[in-house]
Amino acid sequence: MSLFVSGLSHRNAPVALREQIALEEDKLREILGDVQASGVATEVVVLSTCNRVEVYGVAQVPGEARGAIFRHLCRQRGVNIATVEAGLYTYEEADAVRHAFRVASSLDSMMIGEPQILGQVKDAFALAQACQTVGPALHTLFTQAFAVAKKVRGETEIARHAVSVSFAAVELAKKIFAGLSGRAVLLVGAGKMGELAAKHLVEQGAFPIYVTNRTWSRAQEMARALAGTAVPFDELFSAIDAVDIVITSTGAAEPLVARAKVQGLMHGRRRPLFFIDIAVPRNVEASVNTLDNVYVYDIDDLKSVVDANIRERSREAQRAEGIVEREAAKFLARLRDVEVIPTIVSLRERLEAIRQAEMRKTLTRLPDASPEVREALDALSSAIVNKILHTPITKLRESSRAGAGRSWTALVHELFGLGRTS
Amino acid sequence: MTNQTAFTLALIGYICATGLALAYLVRRDEMIHRLASLATLAGWACHTLGLVVLAVETRRPPLGNLTEAVSAAVWVAVLLEMWLERRHDLKVLGAFVLPVILLLGIKGMAMRVGPDTIGPALASAWIWVHIALALIGIAAFVLNFAGAIMYLLQEHQLKARRPGTFYYRLPDLETLDRLTYRTLVLGFPFLTVALLLGAVWARSAWGSVFTFDPLALFSLVAWGIYAAILAGRATGTWRGRRAAYCAIVGFATLILTLGMGALFPGRHGS
Repeated sequence: MSLFVSGLSHRNAPVALREQIALEEDKLREILGDVQASGVATEVVVLSTCNRVEVYGVAQVPGEARGAIFRHLCRQRGVNIATVEAGLYTYEEADAVRHAFRVASSLDSMMIGEPQILGQVKDAFALAQACQTVGPALHTLFTQAFAVAKKVRGETEIARHAVSVSFAAVELAKKIFAGLSGRAVLLVGAGKMGELAAKHLVEQGAFPIYVTNRTWSRAQEMARALAGTAVPFDELFSAIDAVDIVITSTGAAEPLVARAKVQGLMHGRRRPLFFIDIAVPRNVEASVNTLDNVYVYDIDDLKSVVDANIRERSREAQRAEGIVEREAAKFLARLRDVEVIPTIVSLRERLEAIRQAEMRKTLTRLPDASPEVREALDALSSAIVNKILHTPITKLRESSRAGAGRSWTALVHELFGLGRTS
Repeated sequence: MTNQTAFTLALIGYICATGLALAYLVRRDEMIHRLASLATLAGWACHTLGLVVLAVETRRPPLGNLTEAVSAAVWVAVLLEMWLERRHDLKVLGAFVLPVILLLGIKGMAMRVGPDTIGPALASAWIWVHIALALIGIAAFVLNFAGAIMYLLQEHQLKARRPGTFYYRLPDLETLDRLTYRTLVLGFPFLTVALLLGAVWARSAWGSVFTFDPLALFSLVAWGIYAAILAGRATGTWRGRRAAYCAIVGFATLILTLGMGALFPGRHGS
């Protein structure tokens, strides 16, 4: 029996192909049931997202199982199997374990660290469990994969830094202010992205929200949408003075916020002021950023922060790969130990049964033996059995760690007449 | 075991802690941080032992000369660092405080212990209070200095709009500003009272508040700078970057003060 994963993903297959074989839940149920019934694989989980379609399975002959499953899948979706088969990758055993861990940890995703994939893997696993196509091997593999994903998320920052402009603005605000709860925000203009950034700030606890616009009715409308207060446009600077964060996204051709005006506001002000200028052309003069305690980020600055965040994520991804590598090695070692344990147990049971039988025989011949003699015989026979077993058991454990567990268990079964290996 | 052995062990602990704390800044690995905390704690424990042994051996507080006082200041600074790091969950604090502590520590621990500068004629309970207060003030200003450096690094990253390692590793500006402010508020009263006691005591011992003593003069300059920062902060004109620059100048003066004491032995000796 061996573990395998086979499929195609954004790495090797174009979206045109991926969308053709992506499956909905009821189709997945059908396939899982059919595969189970056909007997090509003893265990199977199918993961189908917009970025990958993968089959995780346990089969006697992985190549056969994979062929059968994908033929079935292509028939379902009316796709020519030849086009799919050319793009399929397959990993077996250790490589399959590593791949499962990487996928669940979001290291194989299009955007490294994106959070959806773990949920999708969990759903795929739950569906397979519901269809009763999950056995002990895939069960341990997936539960471990979830644990590894959690560890990667907790110990690295692959999912930490914003990869969208509006979230990057929120993160910047968090590097200026100690927490956003109770920070006042002013939204100037009706740009979509400005509104989105304001929403993110509100989600983080920013309050109160002021909205201003050249068109008074539009300001009122947006204030209602954001549960904020509308402010007349000619009171722009007194509004700026009252808040911590200003988001500008008007279509004005000339800058609305001049350096001299802000300099006046900052005189004697104790709190920092953060401008998020999403408008093009810009609403805030670039030179405002040179003022002490004032920070101005325009759309290009935010984009370069996003780029830096993505670079930081990929740096963190390298550490995550290390974690996956170590966890996969640990998992495989445990798996191999599990592999020889039944043999060790039956070996012990077999010799213990022989000892007990021989003890009984001897004791019936010695009815007058004193309790001391019986005890001594018992101790003697136990000692002999243990001494004999010591080397074979040690060798079995060592062989499994060296990856040769199978041939050794077969040999031990043969030598001691333990019955068939599983 | 002599106090010198314990001090050497403490110094080794601080050296390891500094290396590890700097490594943690570059590689965000929790294991490295745990090791750094452990090394700091081990160093500090040895340091405590050394101070106790010294006090028992000499039958007086372990503050008998400038070297010993600096060593005790380091002891307080490490304690403060450990406390603030836990209190504010500022795991990178060690990387900024420990190097300074190490520099002071080399002066305070590795050098040969000098002779007592406090002769029997000068010994009174007040002199120990004077020294103890001064060194607690210095310890708080070590943390103040580290906070100012962190503030300036983060402020620079945010102004330059090109996030680098410090942007990701350092906490927000407000937290850093609060850290520098609190350490300033903690250190300043200690320094003030220490200076006053020193002056009163100098008058009673030598009949004049200002006999020429380089250390006393320089510490007065440092006190003036810190007083100015506090005043500036109170009126709201010296916040953020300007306050941080001043904190650095103040600390440089303080270090220079200790250097003066070492180079030109006046009343305070070396």
